[in-house]
Amino acid sequence: MEKSFVFKFLGLNFDLAGMIGSTLMAAVVLFVCIWLSRKVELRPNKKQNVIEYLLDFTDGIVKDNVSDPDARKHLSLYAFVLFLFIFCMNQLGLFLEVKVGDNMFVKSPTADPVTTMSFAMMTLLLSFTFGMQKFGVGGYWRNYAEPVSFLFPINMIEEITNFLTLSLRLYGNIYAGEVLLTLIGNSLAPSFGITTMVLAAPLAMVWQGFSVFIGSIQAYVFVTLSMVYVGKKVTKE
Amino acid sequence: MTFQTLFAASSGHIYIGNTIWYLIVFAILLVLVKHYAWGPVSEMMEKRRQKVISDLDSAADNRKKAEVLANEREAALKNSRQEATQILSDAKANAQKTSSQIVAEANDDAASIHEKAKADAAQAKADALDEARAQVADISVTIAEKVIAKNLSADDQKDLVDQFIKGLNK
Repeated sequence: MEKSFVFKFLGLNFDLAGMIGSTLMAAVVLFVCIWLSRKVELRPNKKQNVIEYLLDFTDGIVKDNVSDPDARKHLSLYAFVLFLFIFCMNQLGLFLEVKVGDNMFVKSPTADPVTTMSFAMMTLLLSFTFGMQKFGVGGYWRNYAEPVSFLFPINMIEEITNFLTLSLRLYGNIYAGEVLLTLIGNSLAPSFGITTMVLAAPLAMVWQGFSVFIGSIQAYVFVTLSMVYVGKKVTKE
Repeated sequence: MTFQTLFAASSGHIYIGNTIWYLIVFAILLVLVKHYAWGPVSEMMEKRRQKVISDLDSAADNRKKAEVLANEREAALKNSRQEATQILSDAKANAQKTSSQIVAEANDDAASIHEKAKADAAQAKADALDEARAQVADISVTIAEKVIAKNLSADDQKDLVDQFIKGLNK
């Protein structure tokens, strides 16, 4: 498998590929957002329509899954940024993979379990926060023993499985996409000279298109499930 | 600061540092997007929502007002039509009354004129008769004088004159 450039700083390991990719995509998301909302008017212009559509879309996800109006207000921004960020990170590896020597420098950050676990953890912490804000610390813990007390351990395990499924689903989908794309590009294309290269091109194209689709769907699924988990914490069953 | 090339996660290293990096990047992204894009856009959407609501409200209000106005106008129209017919019928009645009055007056006038003319004519006739009678008497006296003049004596004549004078005095 590809290695990436890992360095140690303040006793922590840092993976350069993930840092570069995420920072790059954060900048892209930021500039696209600023560009789209440069002129905000009551009578919307075309660019404003685009960002308003996106906002409506993520707001719809929040509205469908969170019934608490207080949490909704904060989650609207979270869902909007999270969706765009994950979507962009999913797509990054499809058109840009930079390899210097043996080390990957640019690839999809979401093709790495650490990244997806980071975002899943963010969601999880957010859901804890909202739950405790809503019911208080004691009320929050009591909710684990609902509807009957012996379900407490199962509810605790569910918390861990939620975290794992949320992160690993995204990771698996994007990682598999990248692996297959790398296989087509690196192994299949040069295997029999020019013939396979010509044949591999449309195949790579089809897979890229499919990966764009998967990347969008996974971003949507990630945000939706995040909202489901948060929504579950702020509603009394 | 020590850089050290290590193997990726698959080879046993878990880079917790990345998690912190992602958190920081995401937090910064959240703040910036909120400030530059999400904030203004959602604010504008809310403003538009409020505007649509107020526009709808005012449209409903206006429609209600227009309905009331239309009803009022219709009522006024009906009223004025009624008034017009009332005025017309009043005028007709008045005219009839006036005309009959005029006719009656004219009749009265004609009758009185007729009466007066009759009286005048009778008076004139009587006057003419009286005059004629007087003249006839004068003429007959004169004729009689002329006829009798030769035969009368002076005494007789004196008697006659006396008688005449007496007649005058009466």
